[in-house]
Amino acid sequence: MAEHLIETRNLYRKFGSDETEVTALDHVSITIEQGEFTAIIGPSGSGKTTLLHLIGGLDEPDGGDVLLDGANIAEMSGNELSDFRRDHIGFIFQAYNLIPVLSAEENIEYIMLLQGRPAAERKARVRDMLHTVGLDGLGERRPAQLSGGQQQRVAVARAMASNPQIILADEPTANLDSHTGISLLETMRELNQSLNMTFVFSTHDEKIMERATRLIHLTDGHVEKDERK
Amino acid sequence: MLTLTIAFRNIFRQRRRSLLTGLSMCGGYILFVLSTSLLEGSYGNVIDIFTLDHVGHIQIHQDDYLDRPKIYKTIKDQAAVRAVLEAHEDVTGYAPRVYSPALAYAGDKTYPARVIGIDTALEPTVSRIRQKVTEGEFFSASPDADGYYTAMIGRGLAISLELSLGDEIVLISQGADGSIANDIYLVGGVIGNRTSFDRMAVYLPLPAAQQFLALGTDVHEYALLVDDRNDNRDIASVLAAALPDLTVSPWQEVESTFYRTMQSDKQGNHFMMGIVVFIVFIGVLNTVLMSVLERTREFGVLRAIGCRPGRLVQLVLLETLLLASFSIGIGILLVTPAVIWLTEVGFQIPEPIDMSGVMFQHMKGELNAYVYLMPMGFIFATAALISLPPGFRAARILPRDALGSH
Ligand SMILES: Nc1ncnc2c1ncn2[C@@H]1O[C@H](COP(=O)(O)OP(=O)(O)OP(=O)(O)O)[C@@H](O)[C@H]1O
Ligand SMILES: [Mg+2]
Repeated sequence: MAEHLIETRNLYRKFGSDETEVTALDHVSITIEQGEFTAIIGPSGSGKTTLLHLIGGLDEPDGGDVLLDGANIAEMSGNELSDFRRDHIGFIFQAYNLIPVLSAEENIEYIMLLQGRPAAERKARVRDMLHTVGLDGLGERRPAQLSGGQQQRVAVARAMASNPQIILADEPTANLDSHTGISLLETMRELNQSLNMTFVFSTHDEKIMERATRLIHLTDGHVEKDERK
Repeated sequence: MLTLTIAFRNIFRQRRRSLLTGLSMCGGYILFVLSTSLLEGSYGNVIDIFTLDHVGHIQIHQDDYLDRPKIYKTIKDQAAVRAVLEAHEDVTGYAPRVYSPALAYAGDKTYPARVIGIDTALEPTVSRIRQKVTEGEFFSASPDADGYYTAMIGRGLAISLELSLGDEIVLISQGADGSIANDIYLVGGVIGNRTSFDRMAVYLPLPAAQQFLALGTDVHEYALLVDDRNDNRDIASVLAAALPDLTVSPWQEVESTFYRTMQSDKQGNHFMMGIVVFIVFIGVLNTVLMSVLERTREFGVLRAIGCRPGRLVQLVLLETLLLASFSIGIGILLVTPAVIWLTEVGFQIPEPIDMSGVMFQHMKGELNAYVYLMPMGFIFATAALISLPPGFRAARILPRDALGSH
């Protein structure tokens, strides 16, 4: 049986206890294949962020498993999971993705430094990545000197820099105006197509969902609809 | 190294906070350096007074004379000893001595006394005996016309035996050959005061003492001074190698009780100072913890992109240590003029302290590497220690909590 790039089995996550208990994810089982451009959509509180965090190993489920390329992340130690994230997963969050004291270049370079890649290779790849996300010439700016859209592009570049298999993005366009948001998404889509890189992102935005090749609808923590286009 | 860059820039990110934290580290360092300098200075003073009074920096004996003094344990081949001492360029002076317990009579009074035979020419190059003569004058080596040798006696003995200058004092003891030793001497000088270590001593010129104790030309001890007393242990071992048949002891061994007391007193002072600095650092701990909590989201991002928890501990540690380095650097610049002043000029203390008859009233500092390095090591160690709780706090930040919308 061919392994899926991402597989969740009966993923269950609750928060709080007794009266305040909320079931954020209710036995979610999905599979995502290499090269898919998947949007996770649903109303606020439906569990999108929770699902992305569990897939990325940023949170632990109360039940069920996450398998990435066949490996169960629950079986990894803390450091193994850190290293796994570093080498296989790129993250983009809604905002404040970047280390404020580092320039755009340094933010992108840092993850490669964690991977122990040689300096020359890092520098070249930083230049490459900045070009890919359309930020030529802005590498030396600090995050505070960049617009929200530019910051998110740096975040995309950083997520790509480590050459991961999967990029997880939690509402990457939510803080951007719709034009900037669409242009960011188009960049992501191009990378997805040219490099066959797998993207999983959440969004509220209709215009953004349209561009996904797959839509997973979440309601109250369970998958309501799963459509491939 | 980008982690260092991050740490470095984080310090400049919160200028005011870093400045305040840095100031308290700097203040702690300056305080510690000054107190160490003064402490070293005053111990140096006490050691000087102590060693220059009589002990010297190094002593040489036969066998275990130091632990079990016996009149027959004498240094015989003095020419060899003197040749070695003369050849060593750091030895600035040496003096031979003989010792014996005795009974001292004057009129109808008797007191136990300690006979110390000293070389009238060499002894003043090693000890301050000449300056300690409070009555009469420093004696000469030869007997007077009637064949009487002059003795100098301790202030305590002078009072107990009601002796004054020119009086006769009779000493009774046992000679090295087992014979009864007794002789009459004239009091030519009084030494020190009632608290001096030699308050019950009778100083005799070396030939007189050797004759009295039937020692021939043998002596019990050579005491010597060296150029820099901090080198005395090294010099002692060099001399010991050159004089294999004798026992060479640095003053720390000769006066081991005093030395141990001094060391533990020193440790006590450092401990007190350490506590003061540690209290200063509790404030630093609070600031570091705050800066970590404020950056929860940032640490969450770092965890998410694959920083191991240990690296976050390292980052917090690095930030604190960097700030400590800056603070110490500035501290060194600020404190050095003060240390130089303490060392060169010093200040008067209101109550003079009496050290075996030598008064000292002037506090001085000491300037050496230890004065700077010991507090530096302590500050770094404390800074590292207090960064651990915030560091572990940072490492424990859960990406979910830091990054979620809740
Ligand atoms: N740390 C938490 N503590 C308590 N409850 C939580 C926590 N995180 C999520 N929840 C709850 O879990 C449910 C799912 O939350 P989640 O953030 O995954 O939703 P979402 O789909 O991302 O919503 P949004 O569109 O607003 O970002 C919600 O009911 C939320 O209140
Ligand atoms: Mg969300």
